[in-house]
Amino acid sequence: MRKTLAITSAKLIKAGGKVFRKQGTALPGLLAEKIDPDLLSKLVKDNFPKGIIVVTGTNGKTTTSKMIGDCLAMSDISFIRNTAGSNLRRGIIATILAHSNTKGYCTADMAIFEVDEAYIPIVCNELQPKMIVVTNLFRDQLDRYGELDSIAKKFSETFKKLQTTLVLNADDPLVASLGRSASNPTLYFGISDYSGEKIENDHTADSVFTNVNGEKLHYLQRYFGHIGIYTSKNSDYSRPKPDFDLTKMRKMSSQSSKFDVKTSTETFSLDLSQPGLYNIYNCLAALTVLSSVGVNYDLISDSFTHTEAAFGRGEVLQYNKKSLQLLLIKNPTGFNQIIQTFLKQKPQTNPVLICINDNIADGRDVSWLWDSALEDIKSYSGKIIVSGTRAYDMALRLKYAGFDVSSLSIEPDLKKALILLTHSLKVSETGYVLPTYTAMLSLRELIASQGNHQVKDMSE
Amino acid sequence: MKPIKILHLYPDRMNIYGDFGNIIALTKRMEWRNISFEYHTSSVGDKLQSDYDLIFMGGGQDKGQVAVAKDLQSKSSVLHDHQMRDVPILTICGAYQLFGKYFITVEDEEIPGIGLFNVVTKATEYRMIGNIVISSDIFGEMVGFENHSGETELLSGATPLGKVIKGYGNTKTSDYEGVIEKNAIGTYFHGSFLPKNPSVADYLIEKAIQLQAPNYTLDSLDDWLESESSNISKER
Repeated sequence: MRKTLAITSAKLIKAGGKVFRKQGTALPGLLAEKIDPDLLSKLVKDNFPKGIIVVTGTNGKTTTSKMIGDCLAMSDISFIRNTAGSNLRRGIIATILAHSNTKGYCTADMAIFEVDEAYIPIVCNELQPKMIVVTNLFRDQLDRYGELDSIAKKFSETFKKLQTTLVLNADDPLVASLGRSASNPTLYFGISDYSGEKIENDHTADSVFTNVNGEKLHYLQRYFGHIGIYTSKNSDYSRPKPDFDLTKMRKMSSQSSKFDVKTSTETFSLDLSQPGLYNIYNCLAALTVLSSVGVNYDLISDSFTHTEAAFGRGEVLQYNKKSLQLLLIKNPTGFNQIIQTFLKQKPQTNPVLICINDNIADGRDVSWLWDSALEDIKSYSGKIIVSGTRAYDMALRLKYAGFDVSSLSIEPDLKKALILLTHSLKVSETGYVLPTYTAMLSLRELIASQGNHQVKDMSE
Repeated sequence: MKPIKILHLYPDRMNIYGDFGNIIALTKRMEWRNISFEYHTSSVGDKLQSDYDLIFMGGGQDKGQVAVAKDLQSKSSVLHDHQMRDVPILTICGAYQLFGKYFITVEDEEIPGIGLFNVVTKATEYRMIGNIVISSDIFGEMVGFENHSGETELLSGATPLGKVIKGYGNTKTSDYEGVIEKNAIGTYFHGSFLPKNPSVADYLIEKAIQLQAPNYTLDSLDDWLESESSNISKER
């Protein structure tokens, strides 16, 4: 009874929302959650016979989920998926309701849900996922999430109570440790061959100590932050051998990469249509999931060749007849990966717009700018514009990284900054736009208001 | 003049919330004035020298702090000697707490500090998070971001760093933030503290140079961008 009332009300408010063109995709979920607090477990109980995949971690949730989804879309497995904007409990409920009838029945075989780290302890027991992917754990919005160790502890307590298979990043010591503290079946993915570009001024290594007595891990290779190949005197904390192991890096460019992945039985050759080491990790996580749910290799390989960037995560949009590439930055590790993949690449002349907001969804604290490796690109010769509510904080960060302040443009207003950027762009050039989350949403809206049909609405 | 010898304590374990920006601010402001410096670090198990001119230690995650608290005891007397010689010292958050007399955890366990500051800290379940503005006679207005659950009480004779204009400060209800004893400063300001508060950065640099040249005064720098970003922080 309650279930039906909750579902009907949510569907009504969603229909109303469409009429008024409101963006609140999670609002129906919020209402349904209020009417029937147990709705989520009820919805899950009768649906998704092939299981639920949960994707969480600091960076890469959206892209990993999208890569899994893009491939499943080519297979005969039907699925539903939430979006980055609805990765809290209410958003998951809203996503299921949007795809189900008034009895709460959904025809999809599977569901892929990216879940905000803070909501893992809240929703996992209800979702009883088939698999949980943890991409990585980095310092991120400490004012909101708290310290990393406390997140890992909550994850570990949650996982212990589930039968779920864990898909973990072997190269992140904190994430890998989750596989040892729980008795769940575990699959690891990792990179054993990388000798490319690295960040020199990296201040983002958070988990280089073991939990036991604060002993330091020994790194044979450090790729970025605390990601790499490490050992420990206490073998419990050494890097586990990846089940999906990148053993040969063949090519990396600022558009794509090519590499071999070895499992216990075979070796895959993959072409990934996304740039950067961080996207290779997302791809390995997706590969582990897809392969485990039985999708065949040819289909997986084909889908990675064509997969396009997710919302704001590397997508290229047109504005005033100029190309802009949106590169979301949320935390120092993510910022450093954008620096490594794009801004450190020669010729270092593309104009750049950095938009820093400090709204709640961005994190009110902007101290993370000081942990980001701007020193690595102090000789960048392209035009740099800073914008957003904390434009001056970004300008100050650049000043102390060694940039010439007199050549910076400081324009807190996003629209004016966007115009400045397009004016300084040559027709053949792509402008790099590095926004925080709320700045990214506003920029996409500005670009859409120019009649750009590439920009899909929030619900994708 | 000999190069200014900077000591950064536990940079590998106490480096959260952009605290490294304080080292960037100190060294850049010396570089811009052609003041030469050496950058030294010391972590768990490392020995200290006896002749640093400027000491910095940042905040850390709780896990990082346990090993540090233990190791800090072995460095206590050398650090006290530095304070007695008027060496400028800046400690942020967790470091501020460990430089006090003791820290009482939520489980009511007492972690001894090194007592450089006459303060004591008690962990609470409440997190004091947000933009903060304080003011003092020496430094004028200071801005930053605080994020702590420990409440620090100043014992008799301890002087606060500043009076709270906006935000929490040492405790939920305190009117004051931080502590200053001789040239040693303890504060909850993250964010980073020194880039947006150049008066404090320059105070530390000047005091460090005065150890060699007592009458030395620093040249001023063009700080319009520092002031502008501080003003914006005050409104957020």
